Amino acid sequence: MLEASGLVKRYGDRHALDGFDLAVSEGEITGLVGHNGAGKTTFVEIVTGLVRADAGKVTVCGIDALRDSRRARRLIGVAPQEQALYVTATVRDNLRLFGALAGLRGVRLRQAIEQVAAELRLSDVLGQRTGLLSGGQRRRTQAAVALLGEPRLLLLDEPTAGADPETRQALLAAVRRRAAAGVAVVYTTHYLPELADLGATLAVAREGRVIARGSQQSLMHGLPGELRLRFDDAADGEGDPRGSTRDRASCVAGGRDGPVSILTDGVAEGRALAVAARPAAAPSDRVSPAAAGRWPLPAQLASRARTVGGELRISSADPPGDLAALLAAGCAPVSVDVRKPDLDDLYRAIAAEVPGAA
Amino acid sequence: MQRDALARTGALIRHNVLLMLREPGPLASRMILPLVFLLLLHPLYEQAQGQRAGVTQAVVATIVTFSMLAMSIAGGSILTERIWHTWERLRASAAHPAELLVGKATPVLAALVLQQAAVIVFGVAVLGLRVSALPLLVLVMLAWGVTLTGMGAALGLLVGSLSSLSACYDIGGMLLSSLGGALVPLTAMPAWIRHAAPVSPGYWAVSALEAALRGDAGRAVLASVVLLAFAAGACLTAGIRAGRGWGRALRV
Repeated sequence: MLEASGLVKRYGDRHALDGFDLAVSEGEITGLVGHNGAGKTTFVEIVTGLVRADAGKVTVCGIDALRDSRRARRLIGVAPQEQALYVTATVRDNLRLFGALAGLRGVRLRQAIEQVAAELRLSDVLGQRTGLLSGGQRRRTQAAVALLGEPRLLLLDEPTAGADPETRQALLAAVRRRAAAGVAVVYTTHYLPELADLGATLAVAREGRVIARGSQQSLMHGLPGELRLRFDDAADGEGDPRGSTRDRASCVAGGRDGPVSILTDGVAEGRALAVAARPAAAPSDRVSPAAAGRWPLPAQLASRARTVGGELRISSADPPGDLAALLAAGCAPVSVDVRKPDLDDLYRAIAAEVPGAA
Repeated sequence: MQRDALARTGALIRHNVLLMLREPGPLASRMILPLVFLLLLHPLYEQAQGQRAGVTQAVVATIVTFSMLAMSIAGGSILTERIWHTWERLRASAAHPAELLVGKATPVLAALVLQQAAVIVFGVAVLGLRVSALPLLVLVMLAWGVTLTGMGAALGLLVGSLSSLSACYDIGGMLLSSLGGALVPLTAMPAWIRHAAPVSPGYWAVSALEAALRGDAGRAVLASVVLLAFAAGACLTAGIRAGRGWGRALRV
């Protein structure tokens, strides 16, 4: 359905795209993810004919989208991230214009508007000016414009950003229905659970290239998550809960060369804890777990631990095992969260594997 | 294929008319103010130049001055597309750029010609304005309308905000129409202004309208051709600006 290969686009010395490859089949939902500047915008602009590629090839349903852009555009529905609606016009006016531009006329146009409005729960606001709609309603109108005209390829840019749950569900359901009907979907988001909901495959863009492609499960497999532990601030009876949490998170671990103190005091948030080795010959320095609420941090966790905002965070590929080790060491957190690996973890892991991707 | 293009162009024209009517304030003020101005000031012109010449001068002055101010309709129509991020969405549609252009320009041109027509009709019906060659006058009004549409669109593409646009039209419009001899006859102006006047499209508009009203086809056509040259220059500027990524809004 969509095939892009070797796309190159330069802006002066900067390569916005540098050999961008992406193929999306009929009925497939591809989650295109990547940080700002990864090349996603430029890719979409090239597919929709807004920007000329310096090199490469794009076909949409076999049509050369670079040479015959207008023909290709007839098959594409786009929902940009920024609101792109005529705010003084009603929802119906907006849909009527873009439906007509997509080739719908007369009864077919009217029916398509009613249908997409019902699907995205906009029927009650068809006569309202888009400038007066709520954020969620505007999001749905944005998406409705893209869905009109039965496109074969949908390019949706964070269509649920800032949307309420109702809007999110309506949009995801609409996308799923289109994919089930054979529409190819390129869906950008920073919210990976949404892509999991859609059963989307991932394409990770970085510095103008797609550096990883596959199912979310296969790409995320083996990536470490994070244990997040909070401690009982009130028990210290101090005014500053973050300070008291730090004290609680201060702990002593047994290192290879002897006991190792890991002290949070004076360490900037977000950075790894300072690790200070103590002579093995001074076992008496070892702080008892019972003393002042301190406990020994297992040595195998020391290099993966850091504090952020009063939390002790431990990068972990085996959260249950690491938590068991912590509890066995006397750690008594008031709450433990296990964060699953996210996009940042994926980027970091891929950057470590792909030469030049970092 | 051609039918599709016509349908899309028709949809764009309809939509742009609708946008104007949804916010009728600017359009209404551009239609009503010239008539009020003409009604209040024509005695002054008549006293200075006599009844017939005075009415002609008053009508032409009103048309040129207020139609230049009405360029804001064209510029505003273009600039709001960027503010609303809709221009790129239009470009990403199946519509050809020419269809987008015609769809945007037609309602604006119609509004500008309608404004001129309203002043002429008012002049004829209320003040006794004489029109010697109506077809010629219609041609001149169209040429002036095209020029205003082109210049308005170019300004709409060059400035970055509605307030800047408004300032440009107010200052530029008044300056160019005055320099062109619309408000005060050039014969009453200092010599340097008389020499500089032809650089203003307002000068050629005054010239074309006066010639059309008195039935001087040669002068009316010549002035109209010059006006269309101004329009071509403005369209070229607009085209270059639009071609350099104006209105890029998609951020995926």
